[in-house]
Amino acid sequence: MTAPLDHERRIEATTGSAGQLLWLIAALGVAVVPHVPHVAPWIPLLIVLISAWRLQAARRRRPLPSAWVRVPLAVVGFAGVFITYRQITGVDAGSALLMVMAAMKLLETRGHRDRAVVVFLCFFLLFAAFLREQALWGPVYLFSGVLFVNTALLQVSRQRDAIAAGPAFATAGRLLLQAAPLAILLFLLFPRVPGPFWALPQRGAQAKAGLAESMSPGDITELALSDAAAFRVRFDGEPPAPSQLYWRGPVLSDFDGRNWRMRDFSFFPSLQEKVNRNGELVSYEVTLEPHGRRWLLALETPVFWDAPKAVATAPYQLVRFRPVEQRTTYWARSTLTGSTPGWMTDRGRQADTRLPAGSNPRSMAWATKARAAAASDQDYLASILQMFRDEPFFYSLTPALLGAQSVDDFVFNTREGFCGHYASAFVVLARAAGIPARVVTGYQGGELNPLANHLTVRQADAHAWAEVWLGEHWVRYDPTAAVAPERIQWGIDRAINSGSLAGAEQLRRGLLGSGLYMSWDALNAAWNRWVLGFGPDSQTQLLRWTGIAKPTLRHLVVGLATGMSLFLALFASWQYLRGRRGLDPLARAYRELCARTARAARARQPAEGPEEYATAVAGLRPELQADLKSLFGAYARLRYDGAASDQRVARFAAAVRRFRPARRPASQPA
Amino acid sequence: MAAGLAALNNRFGQALRAWAKRRQGIDPPDVELQTRRIYILPTRAGMIFAVIAFVMMLGAMNYNNNLGFALTFLLAAVGIVSIHHCHHNLALLRVSALGAEPVFAGETWQFRFRLQNQRPDTRWQIRLNWDGDSHDACVDLDAANHVVVELPLDSPGRGLHAVPRLRVATCYPLGLFASWSWLNLDLNGLAYPRPAARADGLAAGDPARDGLDATGEDDYAGMRQWRPGDSPRRIAWKALARTGQKLVHEYRGGAGAPVWIDWDSEPDGDDERRIARLTRRVLDATATGTDFGLRVPGVIVPPDQGMEQRHRCLRALALLHTTSAAAP
Repeated sequence: MTAPLDHERRIEATTGSAGQLLWLIAALGVAVVPHVPHVAPWIPLLIVLISAWRLQAARRRRPLPSAWVRVPLAVVGFAGVFITYRQITGVDAGSALLMVMAAMKLLETRGHRDRAVVVFLCFFLLFAAFLREQALWGPVYLFSGVLFVNTALLQVSRQRDAIAAGPAFATAGRLLLQAAPLAILLFLLFPRVPGPFWALPQRGAQAKAGLAESMSPGDITELALSDAAAFRVRFDGEPPAPSQLYWRGPVLSDFDGRNWRMRDFSFFPSLQEKVNRNGELVSYEVTLEPHGRRWLLALETPVFWDAPKAVATAPYQLVRFRPVEQRTTYWARSTLTGSTPGWMTDRGRQADTRLPAGSNPRSMAWATKARAAAASDQDYLASILQMFRDEPFFYSLTPALLGAQSVDDFVFNTREGFCGHYASAFVVLARAAGIPARVVTGYQGGELNPLANHLTVRQADAHAWAEVWLGEHWVRYDPTAAVAPERIQWGIDRAINSGSLAGAEQLRRGLLGSGLYMSWDALNAAWNRWVLGFGPDSQTQLLRWTGIAKPTLRHLVVGLATGMSLFLALFASWQYLRGRRGLDPLARAYRELCARTARAARARQPAEGPEEYATAVAGLRPELQADLKSLFGAYARLRYDGAASDQRVARFAAAVRRFRPARRPASQPA
Repeated sequence: MAAGLAALNNRFGQALRAWAKRRQGIDPPDVELQTRRIYILPTRAGMIFAVIAFVMMLGAMNYNNNLGFALTFLLAAVGIVSIHHCHHNLALLRVSALGAEPVFAGETWQFRFRLQNQRPDTRWQIRLNWDGDSHDACVDLDAANHVVVELPLDSPGRGLHAVPRLRVATCYPLGLFASWSWLNLDLNGLAYPRPAARADGLAAGDPARDGLDATGEDDYAGMRQWRPGDSPRRIAWKALARTGQKLVHEYRGGAGAPVWIDWDSEPDGDDERRIARLTRRVLDATATGTDFGLRVPGVIVPPDQGMEQRHRCLRALALLHTTSAAAP
């Protein structure tokens, strides 16, 4: 008994409103598009197939599939996602899951609620797209995506069928424009609680490319050059020469014979005051891409910085209390003296000259001999650089794998490597002669964009150099400069054979000359700095601008509440006034007619129709009967017979203006 | 437990209804919806929407994703702005009740309402329904225009029935909020009694039936102007072709007296079945075009003919012995 009934209901569901269904599928398409390159191809295909089938079913009046079809299909879909991704969390698997859910929901869109569910899934898909990428096209997609999905929501929330696309888009667009100021207010002032609350899913190794807490050059056979920006810098004045741009990062002081490691983050508050301040101060602002670690990058040697809760550790490395999980902007001033402050105790000397016992014997022997031949530590260090320069050492991004005695193998055998190899060998040779030394990693150089006067430092600019204790300061030695001076002078681009570059990299280089790339990059920098880098720090800054000396959370909340109430009050009154003023001309003329008649006799009762009122007034003022009858009759005809052309309404309004009844005679009893 | 909760909900609903009615009083048949009587609450979709925005905000915080924040805040702002649009869509709408034609008990009234939009903007998706009734009427109302909508209501039984309160509502623009207004209209629907089937109770030898037949075609009484309800069989077609005037032949019964449809002439039985049979006879009498009158306890409708007479008689039958007869 129920089966045929159910069958009929399912047919009715397919044919319910083809227009609304089309809108739903269009919105789903807009929400899915940015995911297509990132998810397994069968998922978009599934959506296309199901949408096509669903539309066809609506057109041909076929019934929706029963639960016997839908449930197994859904199980297969979800299993497919699990098999493809081996998990259901993470951006890729999550968005794939959302897409499969939306496709399945299309197969059971019976009522408003089902259609609204698809629209809500679309909102989540929009959100997931931004987790994937926050490029410059983001806001364009944000606005058009929300416009589209909102229009679909407007259409599917209608009782019957969809309205034409034009008015629907206009309505949703108006709504969006009116909401924009409120959204901006929320964006600026809504208190940002820093995350993360739950573990961030890994998004491949690329996100963590660049600097690390350890370095073992002997194990690397191919250094991938990542084009991704590490940070951007805006100088207050003229930018320094490229050869002076050493961006100091993690300092690696412990060596186990193969691997360099960072020591703990012990810090020394007064270290900052010991900086050699002979040089001129360079002032600049860094917008750092998130890298998930605690360190900040600054031009060597930073003297002042305004990064919140950032300190200089004992090896003079800037670290922050919390990992950099968000694009962060800070300001700093540095001297370019090529040295960093420090102090030396016996224990420190021991630690900074320590080498694993019995490792790299040939290097040890070489060091002992060369130190004996040199007059001073400086002369000895110069002789190391001399060796790198005179012997056939080569700069290479594809070095040979090093043997067990990695430094021996490099110095006396392979003789090809990148910055890490040279820095590591240099520090080992220095320590072998009893000179405290350590490896400093960071970035060197950067690409200057003359349009925005900013410098982009990419992951490919990562570099390693050495620092040696010479009595008063730690002094920088860059052995790579001895081998490949152009690396330091002109940056990584010139130092390597362009033939080995990837296609995208070549395109970038090609665009560099045209200036197009530069302005794009400048725009990107501004976008990163002002929009994506906006966070709690920027909110504090914003409040400072408005003159609040010590901004607190309370200021934000009060500001937001005030702003929102003000906006809503303005909006409501604007809408109210518009509604009042916007009375159509006929209603205005009728209002005027009633006002004039009220002066002559009595006011119209709210429930009194035009003809009733006219009759009642004519009873009070018989001499006006003819006028009243024609005027109120004209109104009733215009209003209710549907023959109200503009011309006729205007004629009626003119007639009303000519109607000037005498006031109620005083003699007549009221 | 569930039943108890439902009862509580019901009682709460009744209290709320009573409060709203006290607050507004009885409405005149022509009402402009003032803002103070328009209520607004989020719909189920609106609440899901809010939850979605909240989850998105948590996500944006977790990933420190500023475009995620932007999307979240834009959606929240759209939601907030849509409250105003939803309310505005209903504010100052003019609703006039035009009443409904009487129907037979068990049939459905079509109550007509004129909705009048004096704004220069379209009012979208205005929905009318009776409190506790599944019928609805939904229209888009063009700028500076008016439209007459018909809202069905099933008649419960014969008699004059006051309508439930009317809900004028809208979910425009996004279905996230519903704003509505209650109208306690002084509006009644008249349901005529359900007529008996043709054969029922009209047994052979029924004096009234005989009388009706005896009214016969024998006594021709002349011609008169056509009136609505006259049988087409009586139209003087020849006269119509000749003069263009619609005239009907008139006959007088053998006794020269009108037919009386009389309560007492009906065989005894259940009151309702009697009324049903009388109703049938009124309909039949109207169809034949004779003069007829109605005599029921307490009411005498003097003889006449045509649609108006039919209405008078059916109305008297509808109100017979009913307590719900609010007003004549």
